[in-house]
Amino acid sequence: MDVQATYDRIAAHFAKTREYAWPEVESFLDGRRADRALDVGCGNGRHTELLAARADTAVGVDVSRELLREAVARATERGFDAAFVHGDAAALPFADRSFGVATYVATLHHLPSREARVRSLDEIARVLAPGGAALVSAWSTAHDRFAEAAPAGADAEAGFDTTVDWTLPGGETVPRFYHIYAPAEFEADVAASALELRSLELSSGNCYAVVTPAGDDADAAGNGEE
Amino acid sequence: MKESLLDIVCCPLDKEDLELDATEREDGEVIAGTLTCTECGEVYPIEDGIPNLLPPDMREEEEAAA
Repeated sequence: MDVQATYDRIAAHFAKTREYAWPEVESFLDGRRADRALDVGCGNGRHTELLAARADTAVGVDVSRELLREAVARATERGFDAAFVHGDAAALPFADRSFGVATYVATLHHLPSREARVRSLDEIARVLAPGGAALVSAWSTAHDRFAEAAPAGADAEAGFDTTVDWTLPGGETVPRFYHIYAPAEFEADVAASALELRSLELSSGNCYAVVTPAGDDADAAGNGEE
Repeated sequence: MKESLLDIVCCPLDKEDLELDATEREDGEVIAGTLTCTECGEVYPIEDGIPNLLPPDMREEEEAAA
């Protein structure tokens, strides 16, 4: 089952368990403002809600139609203004340089190939405006859950593909594809894309990268290293 | 979707502009209709106010799975 079908299947239950924003996302957004902000892999919209408070226009995009329904319901219930779009992270349906801020949280690891994952990072770079920044996160091998599960060959340099079951209230399990990133591999994929890494942090078993469009900022800040 | 979203959405394939054909509106929002790429002619549906801008091959997968 692909990630789209998976999340369509578990959307209602999944959304209930994703009530609160992640503190790492709140820290990234602290003090940031933009005309337009984008949440890629918005799920039930918990982070789109944070963006809506910091941008004139907040947009959430997700591959799962059912999760978007949950997001629209959350926006209505909680009274925040956001637009939701059905789309693919590796083929974003937004014009170049549209967003001053973007979040791409806990989504990259669901893309099925390295090629698609790097392409999605290129897409983030493309839609960011000059001077814009994004937060990218992915599950990593540093997570407790994978300390023993990692297959031979997975190490500090290379992650691995796996399936993590989602258990519905009735007991039915729905498999979800994950690529679990080794931190060095995560850094390498960002480096291979059109994004520039500004900072990298490991927190709660996830890699978090603050990124900007490559080559950006060199003139503005006058301290570019390129 | 609000019509102002047209300022930033584009065709996921060639990133060209989209042309709106709204068939149902409510409170200033487009509830149903289509977005057509002005370059490649691909037609993207708007369903329940949410534009479906998945690449067409992923859209077909979804319909097959439904």
